[in-house]
Amino acid sequence: MNFNKHALKENLTGYLFIAPQLILFLVFLVYPIIEGIRLSLYRINYTNEVFVGFENYQKLFLNPVFVKSTINTVVFVIFIVALTVIFALFVSAAVFDKNAKYVSFIRGSYYIPVMVSMVVMSMVWSFLLNPANGLIPYIAKQMEMSSINFLGNPKTVLPVIIFVTFATNVGQAIILYIASMIGVPKDLFEAAEVDGASRTTIIFKILIPMVKPTTIYIIIMNIIAVLKIFVVIQLLTGGGPNNASTTLMYFLYNNAFKFNQLGIASAVGVIMFLITLVLSIPQLRAMFKKD
Amino acid sequence: MLKNKNKRKRETVDVVANVIILFFAILNLFPLYWLFTSSLKNSSDVIKMPPDWFPKTISFNNYVDVFQNQPALRWTFNSIFVSLISTIAVIVVSSLAAYAFSKLQFKGKNVIYIIFISSLMIPKEVMIVPLFRIIQDLGMVNSLNGMIWPNVATAFGVFLLKGFFDSIPDSLREAARIDGAGELYTFYKIILPIVKPGIGALFILNFVQVWNDYLWQLVVGQSEESKTLMVGIASLMQDLNPNFAYKMAGATVAAVPMLLIFIFFQKYFTKGLAIGAEKG
Repeated sequence: MNFNKHALKENLTGYLFIAPQLILFLVFLVYPIIEGIRLSLYRINYTNEVFVGFENYQKLFLNPVFVKSTINTVVFVIFIVALTVIFALFVSAAVFDKNAKYVSFIRGSYYIPVMVSMVVMSMVWSFLLNPANGLIPYIAKQMEMSSINFLGNPKTVLPVIIFVTFATNVGQAIILYIASMIGVPKDLFEAAEVDGASRTTIIFKILIPMVKPTTIYIIIMNIIAVLKIFVVIQLLTGGGPNNASTTLMYFLYNNAFKFNQLGIASAVGVIMFLITLVLSIPQLRAMFKKD
Repeated sequence: MLKNKNKRKRETVDVVANVIILFFAILNLFPLYWLFTSSLKNSSDVIKMPPDWFPKTISFNNYVDVFQNQPALRWTFNSIFVSLISTIAVIVVSSLAAYAFSKLQFKGKNVIYIIFISSLMIPKEVMIVPLFRIIQDLGMVNSLNGMIWPNVATAFGVFLLKGFFDSIPDSLREAARIDGAGELYTFYKIILPIVKPGIGALFILNFVQVWNDYLWQLVVGQSEESKTLMVGIASLMQDLNPNFAYKMAGATVAAVPMLLIFIFFQKYFTKGLAIGAEKG
C-alpha cells in the first residue's frame, strides 16, 4: 500500500518534469506531422478543404518544376556531401596531431563561415558573383572567359551553388572530425609507425576506419541539411534561370507562401519528412545501441 | 636507416598537405574580408573595377544608413529577444525533462524518450505549412512568440543534457532525499549546478542556431516591426538600392555578434558539437 503510494508519487513527479517539453513537442512537432499528412490529401482553398486522396501527389509527379526540384536536390546532396566528407577528412587527418594553436586556427578559419550563417555568406557571394560589378566576373573577364554570368547560366549555376554551400558549411565536418581524431588512442599509431607504416598508410588503414561513426553522423547530418537547402537558392538565384536551380524546399516554400497551394506544399513536406525519417534510421539505431 | 627515409618521405606529404590546407583556410576567409572592407567603402568605390583590395577611405556611412533608413535597431532587438528567450526556454524545459529521463522512474519513460530522440533529425522546415497554420490559429503571426515556441519543441536539449545527468551518481539524489529535500529542490539546488558545462554548451549552440535561423522567421515575421536581423538584411538584397556597400554593411551587422561569440566561446563549439556526434 505504502509502496504503491510511493510509486504513484514518483510516476507523477516524472510526468510533471517532462510535461512542458512533452506539451511543446506534441503541439509543435507531432501534431504538425499528422496535420501535414492530412493536408496533403486535401485540396485547400483558404478555409475550404476538399478531400482528394492522392491527387496532390499525382499532380506533383506530373509537374516538371517538381521533377526538376527533385533532381537538383539529389544532385546537390550527392556532390555537396561527397565534397564535404572528402575535404573534411583530408584537412582533419593532416592537422589533428599538430600543435594546438595551429589546429585551433585551421578549425576557426573553416568554421567562421558556418557561424556567420548561410544568409550572410549568400549575400557576400551574391555580391562577389554579381555580373555587373562583382569581383569574380571581373577576374573571369581578365582571364578572357567567355561566360561571366555564372548564376545566370544554366550550365554553371549548379556547380556554383554546390561550391558556395560546400565552402560555407565544411567547417562543421572539420570540427567533428578533428575532435574525433584527437580521441583515437595514440598507441595505435605508434605501433604502426614501429612497423614502418607511412603516415598515408596510417591515415587510410587506421585513422579513417577508427572515425567511421563520425563519418556516418556527418553524412546523415549533411544529407538532411542539404535536403532542406533554401537560403542560398533564394538569395543567389531565386531558383533560376528558368527553374534551373530550384530545389524541393524552395518549391515547397513557393507553393505554400506564394502560390497558396497548401495541399501541394504539404505533399512535398510529407515526402521530405519520409526521406529524413528513413535517413535517420541508421543513426538512431547506433544511438540506442549505446544507451 | 629505413626508418629515417620513411620519416622524411612522410613529412613531405604532410607538409604539402598542410600548405594546401592553410592556403584554402585563408581563401575561405576572403569572402568575409571582402564583406567587411566593402561595407566601409562608398557607393562608387565598392563597384570600381579593378577593385581597391584595401579600402582607400574608411567610412561608416553605410552603417549609419542601415540604422537610419531601415528599422535595423528593431531587427537587432528582435533577433536578440527571439534567440535569448528561445534559448532560456529550451534550457528550462529540456533540463527538467532530461533530469526526469535520467534520474526518475515513471511508466512509459523509455517509450517517450525513444519518440523524443527519433524526432531529432527531422527539420521543422518540412512541416512548415501545418506549423504556420498552428501559429495562425494561435494568433502568433507577426509576433516574436510565433518564432520562439516551435524552437523550444525540439528534443535536442533533452538529448544533450541527459548525457550530463547520466554521469552524476544516483547516490547524490538519494542523499538529498533522505535529508527530506523535495524533487524540485534536489534538481535545482543540487544536480543542476553540476551540469553547468552542459548548460553552457546548450546555451551557445542554441543561441547561434536560432540567431541564424532564417526560413521560419521569414514566414512568421512578415511585418516590418516583427522582422529579425537575418530576415531584415536578406530583404536588403531584394531592395532596388544598387549600393552594395550598404547591403554589405547590413550583412556585417548580422555577422559580428556571431563572430564575437565564436571567438570567446570556441571551446563550447568543439565540445558541444562533438557530444552530439559521439553519442551517435
